[in-house]
Amino acid sequence: MSTGSNLFAEPGLQQITVWARGVVMNKDARDIVVALAEAAAREGKYVQAWENYVDLPDRVYVPVRAYARISTDPIESKYIYENETPDIIILVEETLVKGVPVLRGLRKGGVLVVNTRRSPEEILSFLGDTGNLETLVTVDASSLSTAVTTLSGAEGATDATGIGAGIAAPLAGAVVKATGIVSLENLAAVVKNPEAMRRGYELARVTRLETKGAAQEVAVSAGELLKQLPFAGTVPSPVSENEGMVTGNWRMQRPVLDQEACTSCDTCWIYCPDSCITRTDEGPTFNLKYCKGCGICEEVCPSGAISLVPELNFKD
Amino acid sequence: MGKVRRISGCVAAANAVKLADVDVICSYPIRPYTGIMSELARMVADGELDAEFIHGEGEHAQLSVVYGASAAGARTFTGSSGVGVTYAFEVYSPISGERLPVQMAIGDRTLDPPGDFGSEHTDAECCRDQGWIQGWASTQQEVLDMHLIYYRVGEDPRVMLPQFVCQDGYYITHILGEVDIPDPSQVKEFLPPYKNHHVLDPKNPMIIGAQIEPAMGPPLQYQRYQAMQAVGQVLREAHEEFARIFGRRYDPFLEEYLTEDAEVVIFGQGAHMVTAKAVAARLRNLGEKVGVVRLRTFRPFPTEEIRRRMSRFKAIGVLDNSVNFGISCNGGVLLSELRAALYDFGDKVKTVGFVAGLGGEVVTHDEFYRMFRKIQEIAKTGKVEQTAYWLPFEL
Repeated sequence: MSTGSNLFAEPGLQQITVWARGVVMNKDARDIVVALAEAAAREGKYVQAWENYVDLPDRVYVPVRAYARISTDPIESKYIYENETPDIIILVEETLVKGVPVLRGLRKGGVLVVNTRRSPEEILSFLGDTGNLETLVTVDASSLSTAVTTLSGAEGATDATGIGAGIAAPLAGAVVKATGIVSLENLAAVVKNPEAMRRGYELARVTRLETKGAAQEVAVSAGELLKQLPFAGTVPSPVSENEGMVTGNWRMQRPVLDQEACTSCDTCWIYCPDSCITRTDEGPTFNLKYCKGCGICEEVCPSGAISLVPELNFKD
Repeated sequence: MGKVRRISGCVAAANAVKLADVDVICSYPIRPYTGIMSELARMVADGELDAEFIHGEGEHAQLSVVYGASAAGARTFTGSSGVGVTYAFEVYSPISGERLPVQMAIGDRTLDPPGDFGSEHTDAECCRDQGWIQGWASTQQEVLDMHLIYYRVGEDPRVMLPQFVCQDGYYITHILGEVDIPDPSQVKEFLPPYKNHHVLDPKNPMIIGAQIEPAMGPPLQYQRYQAMQAVGQVLREAHEEFARIFGRRYDPFLEEYLTEDAEVVIFGQGAHMVTAKAVAARLRNLGEKVGVVRLRTFRPFPTEEIRRRMSRFKAIGVLDNSVNFGISCNGGVLLSELRAALYDFGDKVKTVGFVAGLGGEVVTHDEFYRMFRKIQEIAKTGKVEQTAYWLPFEL
C-alpha cells in the first residue's frame, strides 16, 4: 500500500550535492553548501545545509559529501540523510570523476561543477554516460585560493574559522554563474573571500551538453534486504581482498615504479599500510584496486624509484 | 527576541548550557552528542563560559563527576549517546536518589550491535524508571528551550531531580535549524541560580548515599516518587513563565497538530514527528481527518493529560523508534504506556503500534502514509488484527 503518486512532491526544492576528499577538503565541501544556503536565506528562501553523516567521521582522501537544499516553500522532507535527486553537483577535487558515482540520481537538466585545470572534454571522457547532465562547469578553483584544513566545525559544532575562505568561494562563484541559484551579491556577503568568489565566477567555463536521460534505479525492497542480511549481521572476514571496501577511488595520485632505479629492497612493501604492494621478480607491483594514493611508498623509497602521478593522467 | 542563527542541535544545546551559566561540565566523546562538548570546550577556551570542564575517562566517570559536583552545590552538565548512556547506568539511580538536579543531554544512538551511528530512542528509554525527568525535542530551537526549562524544573525545591534532555541523533544533533538564541538577561530572569539545600561542605560534614536499613526503604523511595509526581505542576508553571519571558509557547506534555476534528492520530516523540506532521497536512488536503500528537514529556508519563485529551480519538497509532524485545503487544514502550493510560476507555479508543526508523533509518513520508491508512482502517472497521507492526516488513 504505497502512495504511488506525487502526494509528497516538493516542486520548489532544489538539491545541491558536493563531493570532496575526507579530512583535507571536507571543510571546503561544507563551506560551499553553507555559503549557498546562507546566501539563499538572505533571499527569503527556505534552506538546509548538512554533511553526510555516514561518510563521517572521515578518513584521509575518502570521498565525502555535503548537501544543501534551497526551496521556495518550507522544506517538508527535512530529516533525511542524502540528496537523492540532486540538481547541482560540485566536485571539490577533479579525481572524483573517476570511479565515484558522482552523477547518481542527477535530475534532468542537471549541472556539474568541477574544480580542475583540465578541459571539459577530458573531464567528460572520464564521466562516461552523462545521463541527465546538461551543463558542465570547469574552473581552476585551486589556483584562486587554498583549501582550508581544520577540525573546527566538525560534528555539527560551530566552525570558528569562518565560511568560504578557501576553495569553496571560487567554486560557489562558478555555481552561481551556471545556475543563478543565488545572487552574486548575497554570496559575496557570506563568504570570507569574496574576491576569489568573483574570480571563480568570471573564470568558470560553462559547457552545454545534450541531455541523454538516465535510467531510474530500482530500490532494493525491504523483503530482499531482510533476505540478504546474514545471521546477526556477521561479516565474513576478508582473507585477501574485501569486495565491500574497495578503496582505489580514494586515490588522487598513483604510485609509478622506475624499474631501473628499484633495488628490490622491499621497504615500500614493509611500509604500505594497506598491504597493496606485492613483491615480484620485476620488483614491487601496486594493487590499484585498493591503493589509496597515500604516498608513503614514495616517501620511504631510499632510491627514489617511486613517483606519484596525478590519477587523471591515466585513462585506466 | 535574541539573535537568530542556523545551528545544529548540538550547538543549540551548548548555547543553552552557556546561557544557564553552568559551573561544572564533564565530557566523554561519543557520536552523535560529541558536538555539544566540543562546542562547550571551545566556549570555555575562548572565555565565553566560566566553567570547570573535566574530561572523564568514560561515561560512568562522567556521571560520577557531576554527581559529586552537584552535591557540592554546582550547576552541572553532562551528556552521552547510545552505549555511552547505558555504560553509565549504575550512577543514574544514586543521582536521582540523592535528589541532585544534574542535567544530561542525550543525542540518541542505536545500542550495539552493530556499531551504528543512527538514532534510536532505546538508549535513553532504557533509563526511564531511574527517577530522571525525560523529554524529547523535535527541533533545534526546542532543544535549546528544553535545556533551560528542565534546569528550572529539576532545581525547583519541590522537585530536585536530574533530567535527560533528548534529541534524535543526526536528525537534530547534526542538521542545522533556525534557532533564536535568547538574551542572557532573559535567561537570568527565567532561571534563578541553583541552590542546593543539602550541600557537601567540609565545615558542615554530611554523608550522602549512606547504607540504610530496609525499614527506611519505603519512605525514602516514596519521597522520590512524590518528587516525580510534583514535576507535572512545576513543568506547567515553568512553561507559562517561559512563554511570558521568551514569547515561545509549548504545551508541556502534548503538542497537538491538526487534531481539532481529527478522528485518528499518530502519537510519538522526537524528530520523526516533524515528518508525521508534514504527512498529516498533505492528507488534510485530501480531506482526511488525521492529526498528530507529539509527546514532549516522557518522564513523568503524562497519564492524566493523555486520558483527558486523547480519549476523544477513534484510533491512535503509536510510533516507537526503539526496540523493546518481548514487550507487551509487540510494539514499543510508548505503545505499552499509552495503552495502559487509556485502559479505562476500553474499546472506545483503538490503539495500534508501529516500530519504525530502527538503526536511525529515515521514517519516510510514504511510511507515515501507510501508518495513517492503517489507523483509519482500524477506526473504520473497529478491528485491530495485529497489535503492532514492524516497518517496513509488516506494513
